Amino acid sequence: MNILVKYILASGLFLMIFMGKTERVFSQDADYKAYTLFLYNFMKYIEWPNTEGDFVIGVVGDSPIKQELTTLSENKKAKGRKIVVKIILTSEDALSCNMVYIPSSKSSMLKSIFEKTKTKPILIVGEREGLAKKGAAISFVVDDDDALKFDLNKSVMESQSLKVANLLLQLAILVG
Amino acid sequence: MKRLLPILFLFLFFEKNFSQNIIFSKDTFDYFEMSLEQLMSMKAHGVPSELEELINSLILAASKRPLTARESPGIVTLITQEEIRNSGARDLIDILRLVPGIDFGVDVEGVVGIGTRGLWAHEGKMLVLVDGQEMNELLFATNQFGNHFAIEQIKKIEVIRGPGSAIYGGFAEYGVINIITKTASDFSGVVLAGTYGQMESAMGRRNFNLSAGKQKKDFQFSLGAFFGNANRSDQNFSDFDSSSYNMAGNSNLNSTNINVGMSFKGFSARWIMDLYQTTTRDSYDKNEPVAYPLNFKSHFTEIKYAAILGKKKNLTLTPKINIKSQTPWQTLSDFDTIIQDYSKATQRYSGNITASYNLTRKINFVAGAEVYKDRAVDQVDSSFFSNGKKEVSYFNQACFLQALAKTRFVNFILGARYDIHSEYGSAFVPRVGFTKKFKKFHFKALYSNAFRAPSIENINLKDSTGMKPELTQVMELEAGYQITRKSLLTANFFDIITKDPIVYYYDDSLKTDNYRNFGGAGSRGVEVEYRMRDKWGYFIFNYSNYTVAGKEKIADYKIPGNESMLLAFPTHKANLNASIKAGKYFSISPTLSYIGERYGYTGVDTAGYSVAEKFPSLLLANLFVNTANYVKGLTIGIGCYDILDSKYTFIQPYNGYHAPLPGPSREIIVKIIYEVKAKKMKKEK
Repeated sequence: MNILVKYILASGLFLMIFMGKTERVFSQDADYKAYTLFLYNFMKYIEWPNTEGDFVIGVVGDSPIKQELTTLSENKKAKGRKIVVKIILTSEDALSCNMVYIPSSKSSMLKSIFEKTKTKPILIVGEREGLAKKGAAISFVVDDDDALKFDLNKSVMESQSLKVANLLLQLAILVG
Repeated sequence: MKRLLPILFLFLFFEKNFSQNIIFSKDTFDYFEMSLEQLMSMKAHGVPSELEELINSLILAASKRPLTARESPGIVTLITQEEIRNSGARDLIDILRLVPGIDFGVDVEGVVGIGTRGLWAHEGKMLVLVDGQEMNELLFATNQFGNHFAIEQIKKIEVIRGPGSAIYGGFAEYGVINIITKTASDFSGVVLAGTYGQMESAMGRRNFNLSAGKQKKDFQFSLGAFFGNANRSDQNFSDFDSSSYNMAGNSNLNSTNINVGMSFKGFSARWIMDLYQTTTRDSYDKNEPVAYPLNFKSHFTEIKYAAILGKKKNLTLTPKINIKSQTPWQTLSDFDTIIQDYSKATQRYSGNITASYNLTRKINFVAGAEVYKDRAVDQVDSSFFSNGKKEVSYFNQACFLQALAKTRFVNFILGARYDIHSEYGSAFVPRVGFTKKFKKFHFKALYSNAFRAPSIENINLKDSTGMKPELTQVMELEAGYQITRKSLLTANFFDIITKDPIVYYYDDSLKTDNYRNFGGAGSRGVEVEYRMRDKWGYFIFNYSNYTVAGKEKIADYKIPGNESMLLAFPTHKANLNASIKAGKYFSISPTLSYIGERYGYTGVDTAGYSVAEKFPSLLLANLFVNTANYVKGLTIGIGCYDILDSKYTFIQPYNGYHAPLPGPSREIIVKIIYEVKAKKMKKEK
């Protein structure tokens, strides 16, 4: 091969390595700030029948969203209620929460959590698309253009005595 | 080689000093107070970098359903108007040359055509679409390059570097170049653009473009008008007999192109007039005493309606009607003492209905049917088609189906198209593909069949063996890795096998031009691309390689004694396309094309056999400097193409007795663009 091609290839390789070292942030990972903002707005635009005590968000297993939710809890309240974030490991643990967030990697827990909570005012939010059709009240959707949206299962919410504001309903993709 | 060093060091300097100053700035406001409406604009993966915006932009051409470039079922190059403008590209040759695997060759009468992945794709193998209109002429299915298309009007180009027949039919065997021009939603007002190019010893080009757009509620109207006048070259051309002439004034390329589009809600209409005239003295195999003009006249009309149906609005029904009227390769009777008159008018009347149905968000079906009638009339009194008549007509009907399913593990596409033609019979081309992006990694595995539909003259000039579509099987594998937020590396492998290619030959005994299906063709190779993009600009490097070892069976395309490569096209090709913003108003954009060794026929020996010659590798180095909005709405660019004066030549990719055609010499380019309502211009993507 001509020496010039080798030279250009070598320069390209060098640049790749060079650039790789200067980078620290990858946006290819999910932006849990955005997910947290949605959860915060769910707290604002959904009415729980019980309004006493702390507002407890349970995150199933370990997820980076816990860090963002903790930041939220330090800065904001849910309709005047202190926000408490905790990690839950079993479906039993979900019973002490007002909202349960199921990360993608823990989607298999939905069935058992739903069985425990289906008649109780506990909002289940699934990170993985499609969970709102399988028992979660809400699940996130990522469009082709990376826009973050959400499915909402109205019948699940009604059975859990959770009231949704019209404004939120207008933005939701209704399923179920 | 030493001349490259300053450019690379300059690049490194800018990268090191400016790239890390870009700060992810979402924490600077109280985002907890965002309204619900604002929330709906949130991205799942955060604020995209400049590169991510590009690679996540949606591509339509590869699947008729928008998918990101990394998940689209095709090997795709997306070229933005920003890249076109920054590079100072003179015409589509300059733009497409930077795409992996693409290069150019000369056909006959000074017409320049396109090749891809080592294969000559000039006749019916590469579909060029402008706003959905098939530019390929109907007689030989060619496209003509050289100061032809109106590049100032282009919003983006989607280049599908692999087959597209399962969607687009018989002209998309090896690839699709989908040119999308700006509409009123991209700009509102008037944009004037002028280009002047000066080669070493002659005018290079004088181009003028006017674009206008108006949008009022659901109504949009856009107009593009391009007038171009150029010289192909200022070099001397020598034919096989060493007869020579200077191409300045003998290789004029005149172009008039009007493109009018309007839309209202689901209804849209478009009309394009494309009048392209080349001037040539090199004819078929030897020089003529004077230059004569060669005309390519085309008119395209489309009326389309997209109806969104169903309770969930998940069905889109799009009927459309197209009329294409052309008179390509026309030589005028004023020059009949030099060249035989040729004037055949063609029309294609086509109707198409396409349904796109979203069964769920993740499962989509596209189904459709298309019919067209081709008609050609020989306008020269003494000339007839081979059936003894002045007119021929053919009828084609086709149906196509595509299923696309996006699952958590893989995106799956299955499609097929079936054509039945009244003259050459049927062609069935299925395809299957798997694509998926997993965070920073993506892959594509694609298997496609494609076909080349015999054109009107292929059928007219068929020999006693008959004529059928040539069929191609292509396997493509691509892997990509987003190294950083600003940089992406992709590599792909392709393997192409073409059966029964349609090949031209001249029957010496009968003194007739003929086409027949014979032999075999194909290539395999790799293409690698590295892209880096940030606020400071971008850097794109690509390399492509092919071999035809064991695949090529047509002697006229082969190089004597060389089994791995074909005439005209280099096995090694590399491009660099960079642009660096220097301050608020300026950008500096170097582009480089390394073209490896090539071979072409340059003469005949004493026994009358063509003699092939090796053309050494060359480097086309270009530099363009732009200043934008220093005066509001005004962009002025100046640059130089072929700084090293390498003098690229277009080689004939087959043994057709046409000597290599010189391209332009070093050319100084000045471009001025004035946007009358610059305030309303949308951000260029």
